[in-house]
Amino acid sequence: MTTEIKENGNQLIAVFNGRLDTAAAVQAAEDVKPLLEAQNKEIILECEALDYISSSGLRIFLGIRKEAAAHGSKVIVRNINSNIRQVFVMTGFISLFEIE
Amino acid sequence: MDLHCELLLEEYDAQLPVIERLEKVVKATLKDALDRNGIQVTAVKTRIKTRDSLAGKLALKGSKYHTLSDITDILGARVITFYTDDVDRLAAMAEKLFDIDWENSVDKRRLHDTDSFGYNSLHYICRLPKTVIDDPDLNAIRFELQLRTTLQHAWASINHDIGYKTGVEIPRDYLRRINRLAGILEMADDEFSRIRSEITDYRRRVQQLVQNGQLSEVQLDGDTFRSYLRARPFEALNRRIAALNQAEIQEVPLDNYLGVFIALGCKTLGDIDQLKKKCEEDAYTLARHQLGNTDLDIIASSIGIQNICIVWILTQGGGKIGLTRLFNALNGENEQNSLLADMTYEQALGLAFMR
Repeated sequence: MTTEIKENGNQLIAVFNGRLDTAAAVQAAEDVKPLLEAQNKEIILECEALDYISSSGLRIFLGIRKEAAAHGSKVIVRNINSNIRQVFVMTGFISLFEIE
Repeated sequence: MDLHCELLLEEYDAQLPVIERLEKVVKATLKDALDRNGIQVTAVKTRIKTRDSLAGKLALKGSKYHTLSDITDILGARVITFYTDDVDRLAAMAEKLFDIDWENSVDKRRLHDTDSFGYNSLHYICRLPKTVIDDPDLNAIRFELQLRTTLQHAWASINHDIGYKTGVEIPRDYLRRINRLAGILEMADDEFSRIRSEITDYRRRVQQLVQNGQLSEVQLDGDTFRSYLRARPFEALNRRIAALNQAEIQEVPLDNYLGVFIALGCKTLGDIDQLKKKCEEDAYTLARHQLGNTDLDIIASSIGIQNICIVWILTQGGGKIGLTRLFNALNGENEQNSLLADMTYEQALGLAFMR
């Protein structure tokens, strides 16, 4: 599992690759730290290469959303696969994130 | 300018640093008291009369003042409120905060005859008491505190602007029109206050009806829906769902479901409650079916209300299109919503309520 942060103008893009399970969550939480202090940015969580998300992964997404709201940033979850989409619906997280 | 006035100006120059300190303390004291009393205002402003402005005043009526301390508006503070009732609340607050020089204070709102309208503002001449700050220099200086509403402030500012800019005596007809506007704004101020009081009463009545369970008597709107949500009507269902996986419930706002319920034809809170009662058990079944085979141990507090809406749409024959509309309402319109709808529909197909 890798997480890469890219900057593109006013956007910060976190590109997730692999399985965001409990084991990978510790490193991923460390990797997304630059997103937590972003002021007035559009934060994209790019999930095209993300195969799986666990509760720990949802907590990381949630943490990014909370900090973004506090710092005037906006979070968009992009290109989730059908399994992750299912997780978002099952947990009610669908109403928490803008999904593209 | 005569010698007496020049001496007063010298006294002003010498006092200026103390007045500047006083300005900071007065502003901070007012802001702190407003916060503590929970009074929202448009602005808290202070200003120190400039040397030129003071010189102008002295040139006109300098002989009236023996010392600088006779001039009570060298430091002026102004608090501008939203509502006329708040001027009286602020007056009570100021009376507790400051020592009021009653002889020189004036409530200009009360000066008008029954058939005249014009400048409306409450002027208090104050001193900082030792309870606020124990500093003899600051405690000695009087300052003027003006309390007025936003509309009173607008009228006073425009009236001042017109009066000064023309530089000639304003004909009676114009003065009458300006004062007529003061009357209209006084009515508007009273109406704003009445509207605020009536909305507060309405919210209390709604809250009471919600508490008493008389939901069918409450029309559905933003205010009433928030009152309904405050009673946490979906919490029991959320807890049942959370218990499936011993999940943590993440609180999220549910206000965006107002539009969903309106689109589903709900007109009163009673309609929502009926819908909830009809669908609650099936909403739980749907959650159990979805979450039961996972180890997901975090859910949003929207899960109960979301599943209730899904069940209602499906049992009413709304199908995939109805679900897409639901996700559009919750998530904004985008292509993913029809995929979400397809997936949710497929998951629900095997459940009893779909028969």
